[in-house]
Formats: sequence, structure tokens, C-alpha cells
Amino acid sequence: MPPFVGPEVAWFALSPLLVLSGGGLLLLVVGALTGRWPRGLYAAVTATVAGTAAVLAAIQWSRIADDGPSTLVAGALSYDAFAQFLTITILISVILVVLLTDEDLHESDADGPEVYGLYLMAATGGIIMAAANDLIVLFLGLEALSLALYVLAASARQRSDSQESGLKYFVLGGFSSAFFLYGIALIYGGTGSTNIGRIVASLQSSVTTGGDNALVLAGIALLLVGLGFKVAAVPFHVWTPDVYQGAPTPVTAFMASVGKAAAFAAIVRVLVVALPFYREDWRPAIWLLAVLSLVVGSALAVVQTNVKRMLAYSSISHAGFLLVAIEAAGHRAGEADPGSGVVALVIYLLAYSVLVIGTFAVVTVVGRNASGDVTLDAFKGLSTRRPALALALTVFLFAQAGVPFTSGFVAKFGVIQAAVEERSYAIAIIAMVAAVIAAFLYLRIMVSVWLSGESSDVDGEPDQTLRIPIGAGLAIAAAAAFTLVVGVMPGWLISTAEAVTTYAR
Amino acid sequence: MLLFILLTHLAIGVAILGSGDRLGRRAFAVAALAPALTVGWAITQASGVIGSSSGGSGMSDGVPVSFSWMWVEQLGLQLDLRLDGFGLVMVSLVSGIGLMVCIYAMGYFSYPKPGTARLAGLMTLFAGAMLGVVLSDHLLALFVFWELTSITSYLLIGNDDRNPRARAAALQAILITGAGGLVMLVGLIIIGQSAGTYLISELLLNPPTDGVIAAGVICVLVGAFTKSAQAPFGSWLPGAMVAPTPISAYLHSATMVKAGVYLVARLAPILATTGQWRVLVLSVGAVTMVIGGLRAMRQYDLKLLLAYGTISQLGFLMLMFGTGEYKIAQAAVVLILAHGAFKAALFMVVGIVDHEVGTRDIRELHGFGSSWRPTVVVGILAAASMAGLPPLLGFVGKEKALDTYITYGDFTGSGVVLGVIVVGSMLTFAYSARFVLGLLGHFGVADKPNRSAEAHAPSAMFLGPAAVLTVLTVLLGLAPRLVDPLVAAATTALDPTASPSTVKLWAGFNAALGLSVLVIGVGLLLVWKRAPVARLQRRFSDAISWIPSAERGFLVALRSVTDGSKRLTAVVQSGSLPIYLLIIISVVAIAPLIPALSAWSDLPPLVDVPLHVPLAALVIAASLGASIVKRRISAALMLGAVGYAMAGFFIVQGAPDLALTQLVIETLATVLFVLVLRFLPTRWADRSPAVARPIRLTVSVAAAVSVFVLALVAAGSRDSVSEANISVEMIARSAPEAKGNNIVNVILVDFRGLDTLGEITVLVVSGVGAVALARAGRRRLMLGSDAADEVADYEWSEHEPVPSAAPVAGEMDQ
Repeated sequence: MPPFVGPEVAWFALSPLLVLSGGGLLLLVVGALTGRWPRGLYAAVTATVAGTAAVLAAIQWSRIADDGPSTLVAGALSYDAFAQFLTITILISVILVVLLTDEDLHESDADGPEVYGLYLMAATGGIIMAAANDLIVLFLGLEALSLALYVLAASARQRSDSQESGLKYFVLGGFSSAFFLYGIALIYGGTGSTNIGRIVASLQSSVTTGGDNALVLAGIALLLVGLGFKVAAVPFHVWTPDVYQGAPTPVTAFMASVGKAAAFAAIVRVLVVALPFYREDWRPAIWLLAVLSLVVGSALAVVQTNVKRMLAYSSISHAGFLLVAIEAAGHRAGEADPGSGVVALVIYLLAYSVLVIGTFAVVTVVGRNASGDVTLDAFKGLSTRRPALALALTVFLFAQAGVPFTSGFVAKFGVIQAAVEERSYAIAIIAMVAAVIAAFLYLRIMVSVWLSGESSDVDGEPDQTLRIPIGAGLAIAAAAAFTLVVGVMPGWLISTAEAVTTYAR
Repeated sequence: MLLFILLTHLAIGVAILGSGDRLGRRAFAVAALAPALTVGWAITQASGVIGSSSGGSGMSDGVPVSFSWMWVEQLGLQLDLRLDGFGLVMVSLVSGIGLMVCIYAMGYFSYPKPGTARLAGLMTLFAGAMLGVVLSDHLLALFVFWELTSITSYLLIGNDDRNPRARAAALQAILITGAGGLVMLVGLIIIGQSAGTYLISELLLNPPTDGVIAAGVICVLVGAFTKSAQAPFGSWLPGAMVAPTPISAYLHSATMVKAGVYLVARLAPILATTGQWRVLVLSVGAVTMVIGGLRAMRQYDLKLLLAYGTISQLGFLMLMFGTGEYKIAQAAVVLILAHGAFKAALFMVVGIVDHEVGTRDIRELHGFGSSWRPTVVVGILAAASMAGLPPLLGFVGKEKALDTYITYGDFTGSGVVLGVIVVGSMLTFAYSARFVLGLLGHFGVADKPNRSAEAHAPSAMFLGPAAVLTVLTVLLGLAPRLVDPLVAAATTALDPTASPSTVKLWAGFNAALGLSVLVIGVGLLLVWKRAPVARLQRRFSDAISWIPSAERGFLVALRSVTDGSKRLTAVVQSGSLPIYLLIIISVVAIAPLIPALSAWSDLPPLVDVPLHVPLAALVIAASLGASIVKRRISAALMLGAVGYAMAGFFIVQGAPDLALTQLVIETLATVLFVLVLRFLPTRWADRSPAVARPIRLTVSVAAAVSVFVLALVAAGSRDSVSEANISVEMIARSAPEAKGNNIVNVILVDFRGLDTLGEITVLVVSGVGAVALARAGRRRLMLGSDAADEVADYEWSEHEPVPSAAPVAGEMDQ
């Protein structure tokens, strides 16, 4: 029997992950052993950790650009531009969300390291998903992210709807994880490995010998169920409105940005990178999921009055858009010229993450002022009370709707163009129609903000004191600036993102 | 510069909006800067765009001003703006009338309310968007600006947000025009894709000929019809009249509603002979022109009269532009200018009356004092232009229209259309006369208060804009030579092959003049016999009242959509975890079944030993029981029975150690269940309807079948996989390498020893955690808290089944 040889570990290449997970653990342990830290210190430390990791990831990016992609830890993780792009996306989201959280926790007198530690753990999980080169590793990342999210959703301990949302998310998420795991098992049965590189090699040899592999097909179906749940695609979206509404708003922002980015990264890894030989089989399924998400997400959003719930439905419709990008990528997955589907996807993910956090940041500020009320009424007359805040919200909503000169337009246009390039006209048209339907939803919020004059004079007093905390203000300003800069000058981002399609496996 | 003008509108609009109500009515002075700048710039460009052609000599040699900016190279996104002759006509309408309206609005809003300044800001934004529509050369950019005009129009109509009628009208307008815009987008994409270009200027040179283009044509036309309030989509325009009069004058007569006409004008030379274009445009335009005219004749509200008149005139314009014949289009260009001038002036006069007298109802007007004479004269002249009386611009346009239709209308149905135009013009004459008579007080009812006689006459600035427009109408009517180069350039811009003729006031004695005389004659007759005509109309409309009108159809459709959406969310989004699980599991049960069944071979032998039968029966019965019973504890016990029966299977198959493990686990699980269930109510709260249980059962059975098939297929297709079978190797290696005969044990402690260690560690850690949690709970119990009871009583709150009442439906009810 050969002696056990440990895998070679490229420590520096792993440094973003190590900094994050190490920072998260340290924060939890030290935070648990010491008394309450001064106000804002938890958030500052967390943001520093995430920022350090992001800088390290940027360094890895340039190293990859020089040396080309490779795999790490005996083929468990990919070391490629896709992973680093998603890492930076996730870390930017973490920093922005952390800025929001400080005030939120302070208000409810729940200052402590736990939420921040969970953020860092969840981000670690998300990054592992984005970098996974092995389905089991991907599952580990998925669970690290999901478990942290379950707890985060329930983290407003004094509110029963937060607890309810956490439990619902947990039960349904548990199911989906089980399906995902079973799917991995079937893929393993069909290909003899969970390593993506070896799966591809195995399929390459078996596809050339011909014959469909029912195990792999059933496995793909189950993987799709698990991933569909994570990205909240219809019909696996049922949890989204309840959980988004119940969870504390910063956590909702976190779920909508980090959760979505990680889950879509996982879809790319599983479908585009690992299973390009089955693209003709999974593409129709993605097509269906995309169309259902687009239509249901935007159509049902219009009748809501709770802004958080509206945004939950709109996130479903955004998921549909992202699936359109995956569908486009599916036409040429595994080919030398991979098309622009994945490039459009990562740009969409980055743009959407930033602007959805910005939107939720405004919702947090407004909701706090209206003692937790985030129905449309709470937004009435925001333009007269806080014109700057109203303007920022307008920018975010325009971006969500995909109006030109915002990042949302660049993102949506890229996706549509990717679909049109692959001659998927039907889905491109459905996506555009859904986008315009969804635009009415954002319009409704904007009308509340701008048109509905002064809110009634009776509860006029708290209006005067609508306070924007520094952290949230910073996050909103940064997100709005990013949204506009990318919207006006998207060239640099697109050329940067074009590197992501060279995967390591 | 083209882009700069658009950005200026944006900047000024945003600045006004940002300044809140501070500016008051002065906001309109600021807003006027944008159109003033545009008009000034357009004048400097006019000579270049129009070229040196002298009217009648044919081709104009004007050079369009174009601007192209590569915005995002990677996406191939390019902004193409183009100012050609027709663009110049539209710009002079949008910005020229815009400037007049801004000046007028300062008089109209002499007592600004909160939100007045907002109107000015939104109006500037609208003007920018509208300029974008008429300047875009790229179809998709045109669409974006098109939707922006819809949105700004929505905000302008609904500006008085406390007025439910305003909100409902705004909503109706945006739903109809927005939905039409969507359909149009689909059409534009079809056209752009099949032609290979989205640039109008390139489409004009290489018209697409694909088969699919017929569908695209229909889609684009639907968009144009909704925007230009054509039948049967016209119901939003009269509603939109709740907006302040300057807004109505600007958006809903002079500019925005012409966007549909504009698009038809642009595309007609390209597409007129394609598909159903002519049939659709001409029939819709004809119906709209007649119905609009008939309805205008019945109005008592001067503003509504003008609104229906606008609908009718838009139909007229459709009839002319839609033909795709440049000769007819040339007449339409004259008419579009004429209409912009006289209709804006008429709206302004109505606004003046409304502002000074406080009513627009002709039954409450009893004639004005002498100080009002200028206003009345302006109104009469503008109305005469609308009626097509010489020597006004309206007459020139209509005369040219009739003439070109007679001479060049050589397509099928042109005779019928000509007849419709004549009839429509008679109706136009009739309602124009009604307007004038109403203004003069002929419809005043004696018992209504006479407020008009001593009403304060408008100031010079208030009347000024309307007077300027009317002077233009007269001047250009007397000397059409002044607009001739512009009209010629516009015609060549629409159709490069055109050789436009001269626009004349007096074209000699011809058939068109005869028709004009006929129109005026019948029109006079209609006015003279107006009482019997009105009776006839009333009887007619009573007779057809059973036909659902377009407006009713819209309301019904809207309500059914919102109700359906609410009902759907009430079912699938009830907040109930079991329903969510049901949805997910049923999808999961079906999704893998499709690939699995494709690989389905025949059933393996199911029964090896007779004992299998009772065991299988027990498993099935117990699982069915578990999903039917109502008591929690019975369900837990049933699940236990399933487990024990499985242990029986293991024994029969000769695996006593596995069976033992299974028995221990089942027992433990059952005990745990019982321990937890102590704290919960014995029965499930049975709030679900009676259908719930069969559905639950069906989904359970479906899941079972799915798993059954999947297991069979998975086990059966292992052979077809080329990879080595790992279990064979484990069996071969267990005795020589691990010195063990029980393979399961060898795998657990040798081959996967590290895994086992990890599992044990995890178990210990979670066990410690569980104990800690349990102790924490117990401590609280001992402190006397009734946490346990709380848990027992707590029922997962279910969200309100209906998320909320949608304001959409509520508003429409009012």
C-alpha cells in the first residue's frame, strides 16, 4: 500500500479564503471571550477582514492573468479568474452589508460578534462554491453558506417573523441540500468521480463511445433542484417572499447579493464547467426555469405592497434574467469560444449585488424610521423629507429596472445580447417583456417616493428626524456611485470580466 | 450638440424636481430655457437640413445632422441621433409648442399649489424624452425614449395624487400605452433582426423582405395605435384630460400622442406594402377618425370635445401617413404642423376660460364681455383652421390631403378611405362649429349660473402664446410658401425617392376644391340642424349601448388580472410550510422521472422469498397510514413501523447486523419523537380544506413512485458506466490487506477509517451542543417560566393569505 501523501497546498493562492475563515473564527472566539466592544468596532473589524481578503483576491487575479489558471489542493479548488471575480463580488457585498448591519444591530441592542462572524463564514462558503472544482467541495461551501444564512435569517431573536423565516428556510433548504447531495451521488455513480476535471474526462470518453447515461441525467435533474432552490428560481422560489420579508433587512440584502452570486457561481461550475457534454439536456430545463422565474417573479410582484416582499419577487425575476445568461452560455459550453453568456452573468451578478444592497440599505433606513414598517406607505413623501435618499433610491430602482446609464442596463443588455447571439430570440423577448412588467413595480415605489406629497400631517413629527446613520449612508453613497459609474462607463468592467471564461479544472 | 440638447433637458428637469416647490410658477420660466435653446439651435441648423431646394423643384439636397457615439464598444452599444427634415418638423412641434406652453403655464398657474413646480420639471423631462423619440435613428433607442414619454406622461397625469380620478386615469394611460410599447418592442426586434439593422436610415435603403416581418408589422402597429389613441385603444386619452390644461395641450394633443403617428410615418415607406400594414392602418385610422368625430359632437365639456377631436385628427393623420405614398405623406406633414398649431391654441383658450370662469361646460357659458374679444377671436380662428376653412393652414393641409388622395391613391380601398376622410372632415367641421358656438354662449342654459359675462379677461401674457400660434396659422395659411421648403425636406427625409410638389393655398378649380365645398356645405347643414342630429345620435348610441365599449373591456381585463394574481398568491404563497414543501416535492418527484423513465428497462424479479410480500405490504400500509392519520403520535408510530419492516427485509436478505442497527435507530427515533411530541398538541390543527388530504396523498405516492423508479434505474444502469466498480476492488482487498472478513467492518474502520473518525467527532460535538441546549431549556423551566407551554401553544403564524389589497383595483373602482 502506498504511503499517504498529503496534497500540496499553495498557501498564498488560498489566502483570501484563509483570511476570511480565520478572521471569522477569531472574531467569534475573541468576541465571545471579551466584553462588548465599542460601538462600530465589530463592523470595522469585519469590513477590514473582508477588505484584506478582497485585496488578496485582486492580487491572485493578476497572478492568474500572468501564469494562467490552475487547480489547488489536489484538484479540489480552481484557481481561475472566474473564482477571483466572484470572490471580489462577494467581498464587496460583504463590506456593504456590514456597513448597514452596525446600525441595525445597535438599534435592537443586539450588538455582538455573532452576526459578523456568520457573515464571514457565509462568505467563505460562497467563495468555496465559486472556486469549487469538486462537487463535494462545492457541497461543503453550499452548506457553510446555507447554515450561516439559516441562522442569520432568524437572528432577530425578538421578532417571531424572523424566527419563522429562519425555520422555513432551514426546513426547505435542508430538503434541497439533500436533493443536491443525492444528485452528486448519482453523478459519482455515473462518472466514477466527484472531481470536476475527472468528471469531464470520464464523460468525454463515454460520450465518444456513445450512449446516454441515465444516472448522470437523473443526477443533473436533482442538482438542478438543489441549485434552483438556492437561486430561488420558480418553482423552487416559494420560500423567498416569506424569508426575505421576515429576515432582518441587512440579512435580506446579504441573501440577495452573496447568496445569489454564490449559487449562480455554483450553477456555472456544475453545468457549464463540469457537464458541458450534457448541455443539450440541461439547457431546456434552464430555459423553463428562466421563463417561469421571469414571468412569475415580475407578474406577482406587482400586487404586493410590502416593499421587502416586492423586492423578493423582483429578485426572483432577476434570477430569471441570470438564468437567461446561463441558457445562453449553455449553447456553447465547453467549446473553445464559449460565447458571452458567462461574462454577462458575472457582470450582472456584480451589478445586481451592489444595487440590491443599495436598495435594501434605503429600505433599512426608511423602515427604521417607520418602526419597522416597510410598506409603500412608509415611503410616501420621502422626496420632501430626504431628497438625497430619495434620489439614491431612484437610481437603484432605475438600475433594477434596467434604465440606461445605470449598471442595471449594462447587465440586462449584456444578458439579452448573449441570448440573441445564440439565437435564443424567444427567451430574449420574454426577458424583455418581463423587464418592462417589472419596471411598473419599481415605478410604483418611485411614485410613492416622489409623487405622494407630504405624508399625512398627523405623523409628521418623526419624519423630521429621519436620520441616516453614517454606515448606511456610506453604503448607499458607494453603491449609488458604483451603479452610475458602471452605467456610464462600463467598458473597463466588461473587458475585465471577459477573462472569466478560462476555467481551471 | 444633439446629445447636449437631450442632456440639457435632463439636467433642467432634474434641477427643477430637486428644488421642490421653492420655485413655484417661476419653474416654468426655468423650464422654458430647454425648448428655447432647442428652437434656437434648430433654427441655426434649419438651412443645412432643409437644403437649398426651392419648393416644387423636387429633391431637396438637405444634409441631416447626425450624431453617433460609441457608448460601450464591447456590447456594440451605439447611440445614433439624427436630425433630418421630418425630425425638424417634429422638433419644431415639440420645442416650439413646448416653449409656448411654458410661457402659457406661467399665466395658468398664477396661484401655484404644491406640486406645480414638479409639473414643470416633469414636463421638461418629457420634452427631452419626446425629442429623443423623434431624433433617434436606432429603433431600440427610440423604444427607450418612447417608454420614457409614457412614464413621464403617467406622472404628469397623476400629478394631483390626491385625486382618485387623476390616479385612475394615469394608471389607465400607462397600462395601455405601456403594454402597447411592449408589443411594439417585440415587433421592433423582429424587424431589426430580420433586416440586420436597427437604424431607420439603413432600413429605408434596404427594406426587409423576410416572411416573419408581417408579424413584426402587426406588433409595431399595435404600439403605435395605443400611443396615438386609435380605436380600440383610445379610451385613455379622454381620461388623461384630468391633467392641468397646459399638460393636455402639450402632451395629449401636440406631441406625445403624435409619437404613434410619427412611427407610422417613419416606417410606412419601408413597410407599407408588407403584410397587413395598409389594411390595418387604414381601417383603424378610418374607424378612429369617424368615431372620434361623432363623439366630439356630443361633448359639453370643451376640453373633452377637443380630446375626441384630437383622436379623430390622429386617425386622419394615420390615414395619410399610413399609405406610404410620399405625395399623401407630404400633405400629412402640412397637416401635422397645422394640427399642432391650432389644437394647442384651442386647448390654451379652453384653459383660459376654465381659469377665469371656473367652468368648461358650454351649458354654463353665456358669452363674454368685450374685453374678451381677443381671446374669442383667437379661439374662432383656431377652430376655423381645425374645420378646414380658407385661408388658414388647416385648409391648406386638408385641401392637399384630398387632392393627393384623389390623384395618387391607387391602392385597393383608396376610394373608401377618401370617402371616410370626407365624412370625417364634415364631422370635424361640425364639432369645430360646436366649439365656437359654445364659446360664444349659444349652448348656455338659462338656469345655469351666468359666470362668463363678468369674468376677468386674461392678461396679455396668458393669451399671448395662443395668439402667436394663431397668427402663425393665419400667416402660413396665407403664405404656405414659407413652410414649403421644410415640408419638402421632411417628405424627402421620409422617403428618399420622393419628389415633393409645392404647397399652395389656391390650387385652382379641381376635384379637391369641390370636395372641400361639399364638406363645408354638409358641415353647415349639420350645424344648422344640430338639434335633430343630436337626437339621432343619442338614439343611435342608446341602441348600441349593449356592445361592451373598449373602456369597459379594459376595466374588466384589469380587474381579472389583479384578482387572478391575488388569488394565485393566496394559494401558492400562503406562508404555509406544508404547501411550500408540497410544491417542491412534486416538482422533484416529476423532474428526475423524465430522464429515469427514458432509461427504464423492464422490472427485475420483485419477489425472491414469500416473506417479502407481507413485509412490503406492511411498509406500504404503514406509510399510507402515516400520511393519513390526524394524531401526531400515531404518525410517528407508523413511521416506526416502516422502519421495523425494513429491518425485517434486512433479516430476510441475510444481514442481521444491518437489521440490528436499523432496529436500534428506529427505536431511538421513536422515543425521541414521543419525547418531543409531549410538548405539542396531539392533533394537527385541521384547518386545511377537504381536498388537502387527497392532494397530500397523491404527492406522497408520486414521490414514492419517483424514488422507486430512480432506484431501479440507478442500480440497473451502473453496469453501463465505463468506470471501474469500486465495490469489487474493496471485496478483493479486504481479506489480504485489512485482514478482515466482514467487509462492512473493514470499510468502516480501515478503508474509510478517517471518515469514521470524522463522523464520530461530529456526533460528539453536536451531542455536547444538544446537551447544552437541553440544559439551558431546563434551567428556564425550573425558573418557573412556561416556555414549554409557549412552545406547545405556539402555532406557526400563517401570513395573511392575501398579501394586500392591490391599490390598482381599488383605484379603478372609483
